[in-house]
Amino acid sequence: MSLAEVEGVRIEHEHLPSGLWRETGRRLLRNPGAIVGFVFVLLFVLIAIFAPLIAPYSPTEQNLSLLADGCCPGPSWAHPMGVDELGRDELSRVMYGARYSLVIGVVSVTVGLSIGLLLGAIAGGFGGFADSIVMRAMDIMLAIPGLLLAIGIVSLLGPGLVPVMIAVGVATVPIFSRLLRGAILGQRDTDYVLAAQSIGVRRRSILTGHILPNSISPVIVAGTLAMATAIIDVAGLGFLGLGPQDPSTPEWGTMLTNANSYLSTAPFLALFPGLAVVMVVLGFNLIGDGLREALDPKLRGRL
Amino acid sequence: MARFVVRRLLLLVPILLGVSVLLFVWVRALPGTPAQAILGERATPAAIERFNRQYGLTRPIHVQYWAYMKTTMRGDLGTSVASRRPVTTEIKERFPATVELAFAAMAFALLVGLPLGFFAAKRYGQAFDHSSLFLSLIGISIPVFFLAIILKYVFSVKLGWLPSIGRQDVLIDAEHPTGFYVLDGIITRNWAAAWDAVQHLILPAIALGSIPLAIIARVTRASTLDVQSEDYVRTARAKGLAPRIVDRRHVLRNALLPVTTIIGLQVGILLGGAVLTETVFAIPGMGSWLKEAIFNHDYPVLQGGILFLAFVFVMVNLLVDIAYGFINPRIRVS
Repeated sequence: MSLAEVEGVRIEHEHLPSGLWRETGRRLLRNPGAIVGFVFVLLFVLIAIFAPLIAPYSPTEQNLSLLADGCCPGPSWAHPMGVDELGRDELSRVMYGARYSLVIGVVSVTVGLSIGLLLGAIAGGFGGFADSIVMRAMDIMLAIPGLLLAIGIVSLLGPGLVPVMIAVGVATVPIFSRLLRGAILGQRDTDYVLAAQSIGVRRRSILTGHILPNSISPVIVAGTLAMATAIIDVAGLGFLGLGPQDPSTPEWGTMLTNANSYLSTAPFLALFPGLAVVMVVLGFNLIGDGLREALDPKLRGRL
Repeated sequence: MARFVVRRLLLLVPILLGVSVLLFVWVRALPGTPAQAILGERATPAAIERFNRQYGLTRPIHVQYWAYMKTTMRGDLGTSVASRRPVTTEIKERFPATVELAFAAMAFALLVGLPLGFFAAKRYGQAFDHSSLFLSLIGISIPVFFLAIILKYVFSVKLGWLPSIGRQDVLIDAEHPTGFYVLDGIITRNWAAAWDAVQHLILPAIALGSIPLAIIARVTRASTLDVQSEDYVRTARAKGLAPRIVDRRHVLRNALLPVTTIIGLQVGILLGGAVLTETVFAIPGMGSWLKEAIFNHDYPVLQGGILFLAFVFVMVNLLVDIAYGFINPRIRVS
């Protein structure tokens, strides 16, 4: 597609009389990448919801008789993804693992998003002293590399699922707050804000009713992409042994740690949970990219 | 330009002070006391008391912070409670391994990412473009440690082409004047040692470099597309300049500007990812050191190590900003 055609498509869209979100949805559905992303994410959401119904075994059930010939029996009809070092069915564990990864991703992004948005709104909305304080605090957080910050928070709270979610969430706070602050500052000097001010709308109403709704689209894109990074980081912390401390928990990162010890005899134990992470993360990345393009058609094909 | 550099340096002071306060408070809020971690759970209260007194842990907290800042400014980061050795000594041993790894990863990311992004933009919308986009999407979607495990399995366990753990073969007799093993081999003209160190670096560097590679390729592609449609590029083409010269002098030069700014940010990703990569490949660097420190409740190591890495991170970003100022005159003026 040449540049002229891209511009042409955009102009045509601008004449369609419909709301931003309907328009965005329509563009999103025309993006094959985003559809693939939706399919991946939906697939894992369904697996997570229906895991007890579709998983062939319990994720914690140990069948040590399967290990009679050593560790570990590879994929077979009875165990399509093989059996792990404790005689547990790998497929069932990967399926139940979807529950952990998705919930962890949603919770940690929600944590980061809510704190980040609050701080960003304070900084951008009030400006002045509040802005300086919040932004310097964010600079300090950004000076510590993200994963190290998360590791620090986990060691503060003690290892486990909840601490990991909080840690990964808090590590994303600076991203969201800076983004929202920037977007708000960009909106503050627009004509519609001036118009609202001149007819005497209160400052708080202008912020919540006018500026925030118009600043939110980059945050939604960042939120989707943050889901992807959150799932990777949570798996990383699990891999470092900071995740759930109960070894029977089928969390993908923790499963990969164990698999690393049996790599030469049972590589499939690393392959399947790893591929599951890649697919979910890829799904969120595709949706995020699609959303970004849909909200800003000038970017089409450029990212 | 000098004012720009000085202003940026001054901005660093409150940030690093903030990081030091944050780390100081954080270390004291950690569960478990260092006395317990070192003396064991059956230590008598008297022994714990003596330990706390010896390490100054009984003084008021602001006095402790002031003492900590004074010693830190002197370049003394305290003593590791686990190994009883100065933290700075351990950093000196550990840091070169991480720098070497991060450097190799960045070199790999740039060597592959820049051409990938540039040629993808040149072949916009064609198969090469699509596959490069797909590749960079996979690059940011694959966890560093999973890629590391796959590479280790394929190239060490299965094919046996490359070593899977450590920085150098234990059987190799090599001197280490600098701690950078590749460099050491070259300096001491021990080519076998240098080559062996390079071989140990290849897989970890590819694993760690995958994310920066993907991001660099994306940014290069996007900025090349932007620059390509600029008027000065059209002018250069119109006046009959050879396409290769237009690409090199006009397109590439300007397209690389946004790429330089993101390189600094990638260093943070590299330092974080190093913890995971070093764990998979059993590399004795900063990452694996900090990981052990968490499990040992080794406060001084955590405090000093993270402060040091934060310092390195902000300094690298400062250098990148300054370099950017040199490359892009527009920044200097504003």
